[in-house]
Amino acid sequence: MPSASDTTTGAAPAGAAPGGATERRSRFDTTLLGGKIALLVVVGALVLVFPQMAADPFILSVGVVIASYAALAVSWNFVGGFTGYISLGHAAYSGLGGYATALFITRADLNPWVALIGGGLLVAVLAVPIGIASLRVRGASFVIVSIALVLILLLVAQSWASLTGGAQGLRVPRPFGEDVLRPEQHERFFYIHVAFVVVALALWWAIDRSRFGMGLKAIREDEDKAQALGVPTGGYKLTVFVISAFFTAVAGGLYALWFGYLDPIFQFSILIGSYMVLMSLLGGLRSLMGPVLGAVVVGYSLEFFKVHYGDSQFHLVALGLLLALVVLFMPDGILPAVGALVDRLRPEKRTSIREMTAEDLLEHNRRLDGGTGTPEGTATPAGSGPGATDAERDLATVPPREEQR
Amino acid sequence: MSASLLLQTLVLGVLLGGLYALLAAGLTLYFGVMRVVMIAHSAFLILAAYLAWFFHRETGLDPLLSLVVTVPLFFVVGYLLQRGLISRLRPATLTMMSVLLTFAIALTIEGLLGFFFTGTQRRINLGYSGSSVEVFGAHIAVVKLIAFALAAAALVALFALLKLTRFGQALRATIQHPEAARLLGVNTDRIAGFGFGLGLATAAIGGTALALDSTIYPSLHWHWIGPLMAIIVVGGLGSIPGAAIAALLLGVGQSLLQIPMGTTWAQTVFYIALFATLLVRPQGFFGGRLAQRF
Repeated sequence: MPSASDTTTGAAPAGAAPGGATERRSRFDTTLLGGKIALLVVVGALVLVFPQMAADPFILSVGVVIASYAALAVSWNFVGGFTGYISLGHAAYSGLGGYATALFITRADLNPWVALIGGGLLVAVLAVPIGIASLRVRGASFVIVSIALVLILLLVAQSWASLTGGAQGLRVPRPFGEDVLRPEQHERFFYIHVAFVVVALALWWAIDRSRFGMGLKAIREDEDKAQALGVPTGGYKLTVFVISAFFTAVAGGLYALWFGYLDPIFQFSILIGSYMVLMSLLGGLRSLMGPVLGAVVVGYSLEFFKVHYGDSQFHLVALGLLLALVVLFMPDGILPAVGALVDRLRPEKRTSIREMTAEDLLEHNRRLDGGTGTPEGTATPAGSGPGATDAERDLATVPPREEQR
Repeated sequence: MSASLLLQTLVLGVLLGGLYALLAAGLTLYFGVMRVVMIAHSAFLILAAYLAWFFHRETGLDPLLSLVVTVPLFFVVGYLLQRGLISRLRPATLTMMSVLLTFAIALTIEGLLGFFFTGTQRRINLGYSGSSVEVFGAHIAVVKLIAFALAAAALVALFALLKLTRFGQALRATIQHPEAARLLGVNTDRIAGFGFGLGLATAAIGGTALALDSTIYPSLHWHWIGPLMAIIVVGGLGSIPGAAIAALLLGVGQSLLQIPMGTTWAQTVFYIALFATLLVRPQGFFGGRLAQRF
């Protein structure tokens, strides 16, 4: 599960190698896995019973807000986590998703849930040209473009009052009937958000294990080298960007359906975009559950600040300081830090350097070649003769035969 | 559109473009020395404007005098910012993390401004605030002229500093090729800090100029950072002349578009130019090789 995703996947390709030595799992790992599963079950159960335990509708609504943040952060992490392209402007997609959903319902009389998915698809289509333009540049320019996108959409949403209602805002009709009361609404939306987060996490996990995900992570580590190795960087980046835009838009649409009111200043706000970054960064960009953990921490603190300090500007200072501290002292996030801590307890030390010595490896390969009796000097040249094919060897780690060294 | 209106618009565009050019030059400096996009630049701009306003309110003196305090102060803050915070980031992820760090600084400044001065809109009223000069039927406010003169003087001074002094040479060498500069005995770390200081000093001057003729409020910096970043991308990241030319062109473009389209829509010219540049020429129109990988 969470922190393991990056520390253990390094061993995954080796699992395909013959010999079966990597199949074994130490007792420590088994215990760890059991602990993780137990934790997952407990947390999952807690999440599911949360609406019943919530003391009053306000607590429940805070739960929905945090679930909504989690949905946004997980959606954001498709781009941020895999490719390392940090977008400060994902509020553009959540805002567009919210407005598209609302307008589909009010103007086109669509079923709310159809409108939600339709809004997501529309934003995904819009994200294609935006992605093509902004993914051409790296690093700083990409961030500039992402911020510019939010600012431009804010201008448009405020000025185009006939469509968006401008500064007056836009009412979104409730998806459930009038007879469903507020607490009941909160409860249903809480479960919908949780389901959305689970679906997004499942997709993230699937991508993480796929060839596609490997390519994306290669882009994150070194884009030029990835390209040189034949990763279709442009296509990969664009695909994951569009996936992320779609999920963010649906999350924004869900929020619009729940909250029932849209205001350009809050929808197309750089703050919302920076919340997504902060949450993912705090929890751990590269881990599956990182954004969720970050969303719980940041979302809870935000609500706490709102309750205790009201409308003062203090929450900006707190957000700024927290972001600065995370960037300076914990850029990898909480979960990787915890993972490193757990690794320290490990009885057998695991390093990134392979366990076999070169001599052992040579012996291993010679055995594979079947040349048990072959004297060293007369070993057959690579790729021909009896014994193992190169595919059977662990090519990634091997100096294949002695004479090539 | 009458000829005098057109002339007035053009002049106002150039005056606005001058301020943009100065601020974009600051952003370019940061980018040059550290490959850092300083999102907090416009927050410091607004901070300087608030300091000028505060200075005027407390002492009753001309806000221009606040420059005596703010320019050295901002220079020192910029130096400390670079030495103390930005240079501590990991080189591998410097570009992204520095954006987040400066973003965090911008939020903190905005929050503190709102905390101390409240969100109320502020404006400096001077004896010469309302007066204007007439040039061929175009009315140009005196404060705008002063702001432009200030920006232009600062820009010329910056240019002269970079071109004529030994420090300027070292700074340009650091921008061009840090390793080579280090081999030649330039203390690039210190120079980079000074580069940041200079960049922040432009924000101090720009902020004072801004305070003369604009209404200021804490969240105003978001309206500045977008256009400024568009300018440095269009001009080519890292190129000061490119930034200045792009600033003037886009400033005039914005002013001209204000007449048929209104103030809000005219702002979109920056973003359209930004997207068009990225599609046609991602390294910018005047920039050099620096920009290509960023």
